[in-house]
Amino acid sequence: MTTLWPVAMITFKEGIRNKSVIGIFLFSLFLLCTNFFMAGMALIDIGKIAVDIALSTVSLAGLLLVLFVGINLMSKDLDKRTIYMVLSRPISRSQYIVGRFMGMVLIIVFALLIVSILAVLSIILIKAGHGNENIRFSWSVVILALFFIMLSNILLSALSFLFSSFVSTSFITLLLTVISYIIGQSMQDIRSLIATSQTSGIEISQVSTKIVQVAFYLFPNLSLFDIKLQAAHGNPVPSSYLFWTTFYGVVYICLVITASALLFRKKEFP
Amino acid sequence: MAIIEMMNISKEFKDGLSSRKILALRNIDFKIEKGEVFGFLGPNGAGKSTTIKILLNLVYPTSGKACIMGKDVFDRSARAVVGYLPENPFYYDYLTAEEILSFGAIASGMDKTDLPGRIKTLLSRLNLSTASKRPLRGYSKGMLQRVGLALALVHDPQVVILDEPMSGLDPIGRKMVCDLILDLKAQGKTVFFSSHILTDIERLCDRVGIIVNGTLQLVDDLKHLLGKGTTLEEVFLREVGRQGGDER
Repeated sequence: MTTLWPVAMITFKEGIRNKSVIGIFLFSLFLLCTNFFMAGMALIDIGKIAVDIALSTVSLAGLLLVLFVGINLMSKDLDKRTIYMVLSRPISRSQYIVGRFMGMVLIIVFALLIVSILAVLSIILIKAGHGNENIRFSWSVVILALFFIMLSNILLSALSFLFSSFVSTSFITLLLTVISYIIGQSMQDIRSLIATSQTSGIEISQVSTKIVQVAFYLFPNLSLFDIKLQAAHGNPVPSSYLFWTTFYGVVYICLVITASALLFRKKEFP
Repeated sequence: MAIIEMMNISKEFKDGLSSRKILALRNIDFKIEKGEVFGFLGPNGAGKSTTIKILLNLVYPTSGKACIMGKDVFDRSARAVVGYLPENPFYYDYLTAEEILSFGAIASGMDKTDLPGRIKTLLSRLNLSTASKRPLRGYSKGMLQRVGLALALVHDPQVVILDEPMSGLDPIGRKMVCDLILDLKAQGKTVFFSSHILTDIERLCDRVGIIVNGTLQLVDDLKHLLGKGTTLEEVFLREVGRQGGDER
């Protein structure tokens, strides 16, 4: 921990002062302002719209943070060789990866906490402006949804670290991370679609079914962390779902970071 | 016990995606003793930086073994006693000189209580006191080079490895670095540095090594070399000529 913490701290300081973070904050603020406008236009389901836009804003801010700040942090280290500054100390390559990832987790948590507070404020103000009759949602599920958004972004960031550990350019890392995000978000739906089609007698090739099966186990199921709909409708989320989804996320993150550290141990910096 | 030991080190690099390999270092073997200032000379692409990167475990040798103070360089604790300045250093844009130095010292295991005084002294010594709280992205190349030097020295290392330390420095900066190296020598520290500037090597070093096309051509005492009535430039050109220039 004594070697990980200094690496995590410089990662956090460098990342949070990045101008892209300010850009993401301003963009989120703009989206949250549109929340008032959209809620003002709606006659029914005002609460649903307010919660949906607020949670989607936090989700988008997290995604932008991972794609444009997280990937840049790692790639700059490798492209500009700032990594020499870290690895010339008694810090191993594995410790570098874990320390850097801890720093990125701090950035995600800190930045998303700020955006989440703004998002919650926007919901409170809309609720105050429209009274309670049109607004039905559960604060506990909204908070849980915010927690899951944070966890899914940390997971996506872990994947970007994995790609950075064996890919040489930041563009390919970005591409692979975006692909993983898209697959992760849609895999559950595709799998359900295949299952439904098969039960209704529609023939799907064995190869397609196998590919979807492999992708399902290889890529993280990010749709598990998306409970925006439940939050917007005020549907309760069972505690077992909270436990197992958190467990799945944490285990996946640990496995991906361990694989990144193992791959990074072989990397040279000529 | 030798402070730095390179034992029959060879290094091959892959040539892009092809199966062809480039031999960057061929059986490099030398020792540097405690308190020595060792100058590492060679034309561009001769293998100076690769040798240094093997010592810091940034690059793995294809064969052979490298040790610092008796510890294999694969052991990360070997680097706790090393201060390193890379060639053309880049640092985190949004951190200040104080933050970078604080990281360097803590990561090397230095006690936090001694830190503020040590950082202040070093920054003042390198004429960076007024800029110490400014983000590094606003620094000139020479200032970054001086931050790099401060970072290499912040934890008071026993071994200092400098890759082209005079690069990007004006005459005042060069004098500052020369004085620093002489100071380190007076403190009994071991300094290993690569340079193209022969006058600096002549002024500072006890021994020199000349590497050409990945082969260590010569390791000798500077006094012994220059005592024969030849200049270091003549010796350097002769050794480069023996290997056929600097293209590889």
